[in-house]
Amino acid sequence: MYREKLELKDRVAIVTGAGRGLGRQMALALAMAGADIVAAARSQDQIEGTAREVEGLGRRALAVRTDVRDSAAVDKLIESCLQEFGRLDIMLSNAGIGDAITQGKELWDVSDDEWHDALEVNLSGTFYCARAAARHMVQQRRGVIINVGSGTALRGYTANFAYAAAKAGVIALTKSLALLLVRHNVRVNCIIPGFVVQSPPADPQAVDFIRERGRYMPVQRLGEAWELGPLAIFLASDASSYVTGQGFIIDGGGLAGGYAPVGFAPEVRMA
Amino acid sequence: MWENVKLGPEAFDLSGKRALVVGAGSSVGRAIALALSEAGADVTVTSTTPRASEALAVKRLARQIAITGPRREPHSLDASLATAVQVMVRQVVKDMGSLDILVTAPDLFLGKAAEKTSDAEWGRIINANLSSVFYACRAAGREMIKQGWGRIINVASAMGERGLANSAAYCAAKAGVMNLTRALAQEWGPHGVTVNCIAPGWLEDSPGLGEPDPQANRLIRFIPMRRPGHADEVAPLALYLASEACGYVNGQTFFVDGGLLCHL
Repeated sequence: MYREKLELKDRVAIVTGAGRGLGRQMALALAMAGADIVAAARSQDQIEGTAREVEGLGRRALAVRTDVRDSAAVDKLIESCLQEFGRLDIMLSNAGIGDAITQGKELWDVSDDEWHDALEVNLSGTFYCARAAARHMVQQRRGVIINVGSGTALRGYTANFAYAAAKAGVIALTKSLALLLVRHNVRVNCIIPGFVVQSPPADPQAVDFIRERGRYMPVQRLGEAWELGPLAIFLASDASSYVTGQGFIIDGGGLAGGYAPVGFAPEVRMA
Repeated sequence: MWENVKLGPEAFDLSGKRALVVGAGSSVGRAIALALSEAGADVTVTSTTPRASEALAVKRLARQIAITGPRREPHSLDASLATAVQVMVRQVVKDMGSLDILVTAPDLFLGKAAEKTSDAEWGRIINANLSSVFYACRAAGREMIKQGWGRIINVASAMGERGLANSAAYCAAKAGVMNLTRALAQEWGPHGVTVNCIAPGWLEDSPGLGEPDPQANRLIRFIPMRRPGHADEVAPLALYLASEACGYVNGQTFFVDGGLLCHL
């Protein structure tokens, strides 16, 4: 029974930011569960690569070059999906930019553009995708929206505080969207990754770097992009039929801690 | 990693894993035990309180699991007694050969005004819902740390996140389970043992919903999905949390609540 619940056959998913990293892995996982995939991102080469991989799994795929900052382009993305497949069941808004743009900068040196850029891509883009997808899902009386937040939204993050603020917005938006769409049988949830490596390390230096960073995690390693796949299947499928408005943290245990450095374990006798 | 990993729905397959469900007499514990078995795991089930009805339900469940999976003797015990839990876990490990997955799902509710709750009632609710979870995690954790791999899934309740009138002891116990989960996740994460928590909202057999209740309609209108959940809607999440693929998920509580916690 559980196996049928995970099945996404005859369902169509749009995945933004699908050209690489987490988005690519989640798109492939949804395809493995049976979904046809619309891969969207700014880089045509990369989304075509993902689309070919989806086809290699025996599913249908469409690559649509999209900048999620442009709401008209997002509307067009949904139209292209409906034209090609006639339906839209899963909107996975993964597109985001989290480069360390405020790293080492004084607060007053961060420009308006840097601030707005982070909010546009990470928060407005998610809103545009949800709005455009919901229009159709409400008519269909069924749908799933999955947003992607970030663990940085739940604590302070100096390397890009605009990104952290935008992702906090995504988590808050998820809850409101869940309430707005629940009567239309549309569920809205959010995946909240911690530190996750986007692709297999290319050289021994990268391997060392990742291993070193992993020591700061309770599970003693960083996450890997493929680990987001099964979670995406769970949230996209009927396996999560009673789950809406929730954030799913996948972060190696970091956010469950944070009271002391990893490994700090006091041994004190009772007085 | 990156290589030899199960990516699609195969990630939820649990063939070759040995699981223990402590509190399989509760609706959620039962649904999870059946789902684990269906996913290929070898499953042993236990009760958690001396109630005869619970022991009987667990016995029936064990028979049902044995139709498709290996036959495992169910255990009837009072899980609020640490020694009983330790002895049971040792026996289970001996019988199954190892222990990879522990699910705790005790569920003893008391609906009573806090000012009228006796010391004994408080103690019983805390012991049945919280102490039992610690005892089971401790006993299973010892085995899992030895083998360097384990998945622990504690079933708490959304009542551990929100306060509810006439439920002080239960709310406190379930909140305790959530933070016990976080603490154990920090401690055992380095040993390859992840500890997570599932917190269901209102289910069909929740207090006040099981039998006709004048307040039930008001409550159902309060749930964004306008319906209580079913235990079968909770079980798939447990499969995910029990899988190899969720090794980077640790210390978290996941709510299966029909949108309840989004309420202002």
